[in-house]
Amino acid sequence: MKEEARSAECGVRSEVSLTGEGRSDGGGPRGVAALRVCELSYCYPQGQAALEKVSFSVAPDECIGVLGPNGAGKSTLLLHLNGLLPDRLPKEPNIRVDDQPLVAGTIDLIRQRVGLLFQDPEDQLISASVFEDVAFGPRQLGVGGAELQGLVGRSLGLVGLQGFEGREPHRLSHGEKRRVCLAGVLACGPSVLVLDEPSSGLDPRGRREFKALLRGLPGAKLIATHDLELVVDLCSRVLILDQGRLVAEGPTLSLLSNEELMLAHGLERPHSLLHLHPHG
Amino acid sequence: MKYETGCTALHRASPRVKLVAALILVTGTALLPRRLGPVYFAPAAVLGGLWLASRMPLRYTLRRLLPAQTFILGIALLSLFSPSARPGFPATVTKSNLCILALLVLGWTTPFPELLQALRRLRLPSVMLTTLALMCRYLPVLAEEARRMERARASRTFSRKRRIAWQNLGAILGRLFVRTADRAERIYLAMCARGWR
Repeated sequence: MKEEARSAECGVRSEVSLTGEGRSDGGGPRGVAALRVCELSYCYPQGQAALEKVSFSVAPDECIGVLGPNGAGKSTLLLHLNGLLPDRLPKEPNIRVDDQPLVAGTIDLIRQRVGLLFQDPEDQLISASVFEDVAFGPRQLGVGGAELQGLVGRSLGLVGLQGFEGREPHRLSHGEKRRVCLAGVLACGPSVLVLDEPSSGLDPRGRREFKALLRGLPGAKLIATHDLELVVDLCSRVLILDQGRLVAEGPTLSLLSNEELMLAHGLERPHSLLHLHPHG
Repeated sequence: MKYETGCTALHRASPRVKLVAALILVTGTALLPRRLGPVYFAPAAVLGGLWLASRMPLRYTLRRLLPAQTFILGIALLSLFSPSARPGFPATVTKSNLCILALLVLGWTTPFPELLQALRRLRLPSVMLTTLALMCRYLPVLAEEARRMERARASRTFSRKRRIAWQNLGAILGRLFVRTADRAERIYLAMCARGWR
């Protein structure tokens, strides 16, 4: 009962904060949000607050950007979406994925549904060959044999790395490593992709290609980044975090053109929007 | 151990056969009598033949065998004081070097991922497989990190005093340890994110 009341409360809250786009319930045609976060708070073990009552939702097939200065709590938020934080999951779920609450009993299911791409590909690429790495997630799900071979091949195909199965991760370029990480995440069949700084460390061509790749992928996407041009190109909506609080939420163009707001939170208006009227 | 892209028959042979053969050779050699005798020619001849067939360069072989000698000599010295009081020193040195040579030939002719695959088929417990895979994956990353830190240190070192060099080395090792622990934490999180339990 209490849980339902909290969800309803969150629905109201996001309705208030989302102006203009008419996507107030965070739901697409089905009305169920791919991801719903409700009053999420977190303190570091030292007692410092990292997140304070953050609430938002992401519709299926929606791509939203999470912006904020360094130390705003972006990465901490992303770790929560996969149940990696806090160490002990609360009994009252703050996060729902496809309307499934994130609690101790559903954690394996949620980790399959929410694909998390880490900032440093070196942390995510753990196996001795590309095949083994992409197969890591599906193996945990009990996939094996010819099915696994096919799945790995398809996932590598999705990121444009056909035939890379036998390559060794330490001999790949940074961009290729990131793509292999993405293939490893896609192989688990997630419905929400959560990306931490996906364009960092990539050269302009790598960034362009990775952006095109992300645009072509189906499902909901949440991108935490400092790359404002990436946000302008891919995201329809933006969340701005500062000192663990959600300070602004709204359509990308109107938020990113608001110079005062951007400067107040350690950001700046992207070049591509410099000559754009905030309401135009 | 480093796999070299070669095209000898040994390189093409099945990794599982090579792995089992290497294990038999190592076990067989280790079980030889403690006194050096003609029987030692058998594994030496087999290994010599395999070494020639693998076309592993002599320099490479010696460079890989050399660091192991410290440990081998240590153990061989200990064997001199063993209660059985039989002359085991030359036998221990020969046995150990033959065993290492067998593993070197295996590593030279088989890519590590294929070895892991073979071990998986031989039903090695998955925790051990994961540990081996992580080691193979992260040793180059760790080496690269150490190289970068050493370079950064060198660019800011203006003294050739040995005491300062040792202090710096200590600081680098400490920092490397902390960084590795941090990375281990992030790797663990990334593994959990993909369903590791």
